Amino acid sequence: MITFEHVSKAFDSLEVLSDLSFHIATGEIVGIVGPSGSGKTTILKLITRILVPDAGTVTVAPGTLGYVFQEPRLLPWRTALDNVAAPLRAQGRTTSEARETAGRWLERVELDGFEGYHPAELSGGMAQRVSIARAFAVEPRILLMDEPFSNVDVTLKGALMDILESIIREREPTVVYVTHELTEALRFADRIVELTPDHGLREVDLGDRAAVAREWMRRTLGDLAGRW
Amino acid sequence: MGAGVAALLVVWQLLSLTVSPAIMASPADTAVALAGLAWGSKLWIELLITLRRMVVGLAVGAAAGWVLGIVAGVQPRIRAFFEPLRWVTMTIPAVIIAVLAMLWFGLGDPAVMFTVAVIVFPTMYVNTMSGVSTIDSRLTEMGRVYRFTRRLLLTEIYLPGIASPVMAGLTLATGVAVRAVVLAEVLGAMTGIGHAFSRAMAYLETPELFAWIVVLLALMAVIEFGVLQPLKKRVMRWRKEAQ
Ligand SMILES: Nc1ncnc2c1ncn2[C@@H]1O[C@H](COP(=O)(O)OP(=O)(O)O)[C@@H](O)[C@H]1O
Ligand SMILES: [Mg+2]
Repeated sequence: MITFEHVSKAFDSLEVLSDLSFHIATGEIVGIVGPSGSGKTTILKLITRILVPDAGTVTVAPGTLGYVFQEPRLLPWRTALDNVAAPLRAQGRTTSEARETAGRWLERVELDGFEGYHPAELSGGMAQRVSIARAFAVEPRILLMDEPFSNVDVTLKGALMDILESIIREREPTVVYVTHELTEALRFADRIVELTPDHGLREVDLGDRAAVAREWMRRTLGDLAGRW
Repeated sequence: MGAGVAALLVVWQLLSLTVSPAIMASPADTAVALAGLAWGSKLWIELLITLRRMVVGLAVGAAAGWVLGIVAGVQPRIRAFFEPLRWVTMTIPAVIIAVLAMLWFGLGDPAVMFTVAVIVFPTMYVNTMSGVSTIDSRLTEMGRVYRFTRRLLLTEIYLPGIASPVMAGLTLATGVAVRAVVLAEVLGAMTGIGHAFSRAMAYLETPELFAWIVVLLALMAVIEFGVLQPLKKRVMRWRKEAQ
């Protein structure tokens, strides 16, 4: 579904990815973890072709893309409902069909009653949920999520993850889930890869998820302890 | 605002007391002349003639500036192609455009409308074009990822994205259009406010001259507060609701 072959990408003199190769199979749920600035968003942008690699090739099978950007990226002049409906209209549906579907998805992310609100009237977390609804509504073959839940509060996070899980079960999309919080990816991921400081990738052994989570917590706490 | 208007009137009154009435009509004399013009049909006829020329010229010039501004904003090569036209229309003095228009179209409507359109064009063009370049590229990226059609990119991202600079451009262009229409009428028309103005000057009918100035200011105020500001409010509704 998605193949990176010897991909390198730099911004001016800043090398972000170098000689990166990996393959994501159809229907696979892959978590990408790494500290901020390690190139996670860059990988997603390469998949969408917003960015092109300096070297190497990125191959992506055709099919509808859903993208939960790191920030909501809503149209400020459109209501929540029309923001979700816009990509559906791009798929050729009529405005009323698109709005009907959009309304159902806003309900699923617990935003019923906010259909007519403009983005500036929504909290950061609510805007992020609109962005999530937009990505789910297009029924993507490939779902790219860039730290999708970093901005929503903990009580909703669980509910949104449940929705994501049911979508994964219903439609079996290929999912690339980017986060700096490994435990978040642990819940659904078939595989987790970690971006390493030398701009490479390391497969995380998920043999014993509880042990992985413990190890991650230990490392994070260690980092914190080190900083204090 | 009210105090500012009152201060202007007071200064006008004081000035008119110190100089000859042939040079400056007093507010009272002007009001009498204005009432005289409004009583007959002259004021309304000239006003309608001028308004029509201005609106047509403005519509043509602003629409051309808006469309070409969008195209040029999206396509750097087209922008480069139009750069000389922008420079020429922005640089040539308005009087020269008006004189050329008379030469090409003779006296009357077409010459005045042409002058207004040409003078208004670059204001709208530049505002629209720079508006396109301020559109948030993260939104256009979003549109590309979700495979927005060209039409959707235009109606969902580009047009709303430039609404604010376009409205600012339209406000500027309207002010420019009033000046342009009067200039063109002074030089090249036998009707309209500009012509009435130059006639009043030729016959030294100073109170009438000042009355026409008041008419022009009133016209501008009506357009600004009666048309442009409500339009702006409507177009920018989504921003208002955010507060
Ligand atoms: N368009 C860009 N221009 C310049 N530098 C960029 C650009 N996009 C990303 N970067 C830089 O590349 C590095 C990786 O960015 P990113 O992929 O966003 O990291 P992550 O998502 O893992 O936090 C960062 O140091 C970032 O500042
Ligand atoms: Mg990122």
